[in-house]
Amino acid sequence: MILILFKKELRETWRTWKLPIMLIVFVIFGIMNPLMAKLTPEILKMSNLAGKLSLPAPTSLDSWTQFYKNISQIGIYLFMMIFAGIVNHEVSQHTLVNLVTKGLSRNAVIWSKWLILLGQWLSLNSLSFLVTWGYTAFYFPDNHSPHPVLAFLPLLILGCFIAGVIVFASTITRSNYQSLLIEIFMMIVLYLINLFKQTVHYNPLSLMSKNLDFLQRQNSVADYWPAMLITVGLGLLLTFLASRIFAHQRL
Amino acid sequence: MKNAQVLLDNWPLLLPLLILELGLMIAAVIHVLRHPHYRFGNKVMWLIVVIVFEIIGPVIYFAFGRGKNE
Amino acid sequence: MNMLEIKHLDKSFGSKQVLHDLNLVVPQGSIFGFVGENGAGKTTTMRLVLGLEKSDRGQIEINHELVHFGQTPTNRFTGYLPDVPAFYNYLTPREYLKLCAQITKIPARQQSSRIDELLSLVGLANVKQRINGFSRGMKQRLGIAQALLNRPQLLICDEPTSALDPQGRQEFLELLASLRGQTTILFSTHILPDVERICDQVGILHDGQLRAVGSLATLKQQYAQPLLQITMATAQEAATLAQWLQQNPSLAKDAITTDASVITIPDAQENNQTWTAVLEALTQQTLIPLKIEQVAPSLEQIFLKVVQPT
Repeated sequence: MILILFKKELRETWRTWKLPIMLIVFVIFGIMNPLMAKLTPEILKMSNLAGKLSLPAPTSLDSWTQFYKNISQIGIYLFMMIFAGIVNHEVSQHTLVNLVTKGLSRNAVIWSKWLILLGQWLSLNSLSFLVTWGYTAFYFPDNHSPHPVLAFLPLLILGCFIAGVIVFASTITRSNYQSLLIEIFMMIVLYLINLFKQTVHYNPLSLMSKNLDFLQRQNSVADYWPAMLITVGLGLLLTFLASRIFAHQRL
Repeated sequence: MKNAQVLLDNWPLLLPLLILELGLMIAAVIHVLRHPHYRFGNKVMWLIVVIVFEIIGPVIYFAFGRGKNE
Repeated sequence: MNMLEIKHLDKSFGSKQVLHDLNLVVPQGSIFGFVGENGAGKTTTMRLVLGLEKSDRGQIEINHELVHFGQTPTNRFTGYLPDVPAFYNYLTPREYLKLCAQITKIPARQQSSRIDELLSLVGLANVKQRINGFSRGMKQRLGIAQALLNRPQLLICDEPTSALDPQGRQEFLELLASLRGQTTILFSTHILPDVERICDQVGILHDGQLRAVGSLATLKQQYAQPLLQITMATAQEAATLAQWLQQNPSLAKDAITTDASVITIPDAQENNQTWTAVLEALTQQTLIPLKIEQVAPSLEQIFLKVVQPT
C-alpha cells in the first residue's frame, strides 16, 4: 500500500512542478559552488583592496565550503518551503476522503509522504553533489579534499530527520506558512542546543556543519555516530508521532 | 578587458548556470500566466517576483503563491 | 439482516448538538432515502458511518462490524460519494480510478476492464484531460465512478443529485435504481421527488433525530391524508366556490388552498364529509366542475407534517 501511495506522491511532486523546480535549483547550487570558489579572489582583486592583500589561489576546499554553506543555509529551507504543505494541503482540500473511505490506512499516507521526502532529499542532494564534485575535480585537481563522498554521506542521513520534521510540522498545522514556521523553529532549537559544545557529537546539526572536517580527516566521522543514530531515530519518531496525530484528524 | 576575460575563462560554469536560471524563471513565468489564481497578490506582482529574484523568487511562487488547486 | 445499524448516536460540534440519540437501521438490499433540511445532520451522520468523525456516544455497525473513528477497516464494505467530491487535479480520470482500484485491492488483471466499464457508465470514457479542467458535473460523475468502483455492499451518497443537470439527475437515479438488490444504498437529499422515485425506505431527519422512518406507503398512511382536488373551468368560478367552502363550519378553513382554477382540500374520510360539503356547495352555486379527484399525498406533505413544530 505504501508503494502505491509512493508512486502517487512521485507523480504529484512531478506534475505539480515541485520536483522539477527543486531539480533545477539544486543543479544551480551544484554549479555555483565551484564558480564562487573561483570568482571570489577575482572579485576581491577588482575591489580597492587590490595589492594590499596577498590572496591565496582557491582550492577544492573553497568549492566544498560553498557546497555545505549553500545546502545548510539555503537549500534545506527551500526544500522545507516547497514541501511544507505536504500533509495539510491534502487535509484542507479533502482529497483523502475518497481514499480513506475505501479502506486506505492513514498510517500508509504519512509514511509514504515521509518516504517521498526522504527520496527527494537523497536524489536532490546527490545530484548537486555530483555536479560540484565533477567541476571541483576539473578546476581544482588538488589533494586538499581527500574524502568527498565520506563527508557527504552524513548529509544524506540528515534527510531522515528533515523528512520527519516536514511531515510532523505539516500534520500538526493547517497551512504551509504555519508548517514552515514550526520547521524553522525546530531548526532554531537545534542551533540553540549547538551552543553547548559538549552536545556536538549528538546534534543532528553536526551532520551538515562538520562536513569540512570529515572531508579532510577521515577518522573524525566515527566520533559522530551518536548524532547519526539520533538523527535517524528522531526522524522516525517524528513521523510516528505524526501518524498517531493524523489518525484522529478530520479529513 | 579583464572582466570579459573572466567570463570567457569560466564559460563551462556560467553558461549552464545561465540556462538553468533562465529555465527556472521561464517555467515560473509560464505558470504565473497560465494559472491566474493566486493565494495572494496579483499577476504583475508575481511576475516581478519570479523575474527579479533569481532562484528564490520562483521557489517562493511555487511554495506560496500559486492557487490552491493549480 | 441489516446492513447498517446506528444506535443512540450523539454528536456535537462545540456547543451545537447536531445529533441527539439517533437510531437508524438500513436493511440489506434497500434503497434508503435520508431526508432532512440543510443542517439537519445528514452529512454528519454519513461521515460518522464512514469513520470520518468521532461520535460523542453510541455505536455504529456496518455488516455487524463496529465502526471506529480514524482506523476504518469497515470501509472495505463502503463506497462514498461526498456532496463535493475532491480529487487530485493533476491526474486524469483513468489514473485516478487506477489509484482507487489499487487501494481497494481489486486484482490487477481486472482493474482496467472495471475502470473502462465505469468510465463509460458515467460518460467519461473519452475524456483524456486532467481533472483540473473538470466542471462540477463532470466531477460528480467521476465521484459516482469512484464510489461504485469496488462494488460496495453499502453505497453512501450525500446529496448526489444536487449538482447535476436534469438529464444527469435522471441518469443517476436510473443508475441507483439499477443497483437495487445487489447494493444497499443510503442516499441523502432534500429533493423529495427523487426519493419518491427510487427509494423503498425513507427516514426523515429533523433536529438530529429520526422523526419518521418506514416505507413510503407506511409513512403516507401514518402522516398524511389524501387530498381532494377540484378543477373548475375558470379561476373566477374557483374563487366563488372556495369562498363558499370556507364558510362551511365542517371544513378546516385554513386548509383550503386555491391555485388558479384548482382548489385543494384535505379529504377527511369520516362520513365522506368533505365530499358532501363540496357537492352541496357546487349544487347551491350551480357550478359544474371539470374534474373532481382524490390525490395521494406527496412526500413533501409528509415531510412538512413531520418537521412542523409541535
